[in-house]
Amino acid sequence: MLKITPAELKVIAQYIHDISGIYLDQSKSYLFETRLSSIAEELGCDSYQALYDKARRDPLKKIERQIIDAISTNETLFFRDNGPFELLKHKILPELIDLRTPKSPRLKTNIKIWSAASSTGQELYSVAMTIKDLLGTQLDNFNFKLLGTDISDGAVKQASYGKYNKFEIERGLPRQTLQKHFTLFGDSWKVKDELRAMVNFRKLNLMLPFAGLGKYDIILCRNVAIYFTLEDRKKLFNKLADSLTDDGYLIIGSTESLTGICPRFVPKRHLRAIFYQKKI
Amino acid sequence: MNNLTILVVDDDPVIRRLLEQRLIKENYDVLLAEDGSIGNDILLHNHVDIVLTDLMMPGDIGGIEVLEYAKELERNIEVILITAHSSVDTAVEAMKKGASDYLEKPINFTELFLRLEKIDTMRGLLRSAEDLRQAMDVTESTAAETIQNLEVTAGTLQAQIDSIETLLNSEEKASEDKITEALEIIQNWK
Repeated sequence: MLKITPAELKVIAQYIHDISGIYLDQSKSYLFETRLSSIAEELGCDSYQALYDKARRDPLKKIERQIIDAISTNETLFFRDNGPFELLKHKILPELIDLRTPKSPRLKTNIKIWSAASSTGQELYSVAMTIKDLLGTQLDNFNFKLLGTDISDGAVKQASYGKYNKFEIERGLPRQTLQKHFTLFGDSWKVKDELRAMVNFRKLNLMLPFAGLGKYDIILCRNVAIYFTLEDRKKLFNKLADSLTDDGYLIIGSTESLTGICPRFVPKRHLRAIFYQKKI
Repeated sequence: MNNLTILVVDDDPVIRRLLEQRLIKENYDVLLAEDGSIGNDILLHNHVDIVLTDLMMPGDIGGIEVLEYAKELERNIEVILITAHSSVDTAVEAMKKGASDYLEKPINFTELFLRLEKIDTMRGLLRSAEDLRQAMDVTESTAAETIQNLEVTAGTLQAQIDSIETLLNSEEKASEDKITEALEIIQNWK
């Protein structure tokens, strides 16, 4: 494996931060090597400096995308940490439905949900399954808009396709849920069309302005800010507060905290989970 | 050192016996079936890790059907197909349906044991990944509990400080009353 020099480490770490916001500990050179050496070799670069130069000169930014795909952690699973989904089912969705249901029975209830770091889609599909199982045939009276965004093109592509191999499926999905929402597709499983139709995925770098994104009633931003510096985390949650409706709900990772990061959010506990709302 | 159970499905008694002997010698537990129907019955009533099945067998249930049935019963099961050279295309189709691998006749045992070893290594890796994941889950849920308690405590404290700040800034009350009320808020918190 191609070895990285201390000078290259500095350059590459800065470059990765610039393009993705991800902060990689420079003392962990193996992290850079295991994730970037194959890209360097594939492009015929004999050093990481050469890879950096090539990436900077690439007008189509294809190398930049490859580097982001390699660096971003796509560790995710269906119903990862049950807490947020119980929270959605028993607290947040019923509350929101009460708040948003129009007086006229002819009008549909609009609810917008955003998974801000959707990785390969498992989280957003889990939300969609929770909604479907909760509302059943009543779903027709609702207009749910579920958006998943991620910085990695590869992840967005897989999420959009909605196909998962048996290892991805085995993690977190009970058999009954699997059979209800997925169809066997060769040795893999594909999300059924009706579930797929509920969601949309697109690429978004959380470090850049969220232009034209609109406001959401529920935002999930779990286990992504942990890869950012404190300063970047502050900026991110401040922007998320701007993108959340005044009575909306924010869900972060179970081991994350907003204390000292964003005073605009107040933590609230329900059962064994925590969610945040904007301070009024 | 091997405790994997292999089901051999083949209508040819010579191949069955040969496979049985060689596999037992390598410390695998072996179950035998002379056709697909018996094979499926064994799959239903026994724990099987790997199925080694002939692709073409007399009767309604061929290798593909055994593969499909095995996968339906147990997603983690590994299926290796044994095929004549002429039906390699069908075997490739079977790979798409979830077969782990295929072997051409006559069976090359070195090749077979290599494939089995590969499956064994893969299972070992999956097991350790699963162990790590479980360890991570325990750590994560313990940490989550601590962090969530701290988060709520910090939130409540912040609210108290905010209310004291509002109180102290108010111009309607006398200074002494403000101090008394502020102290009350603090006492109640403790």
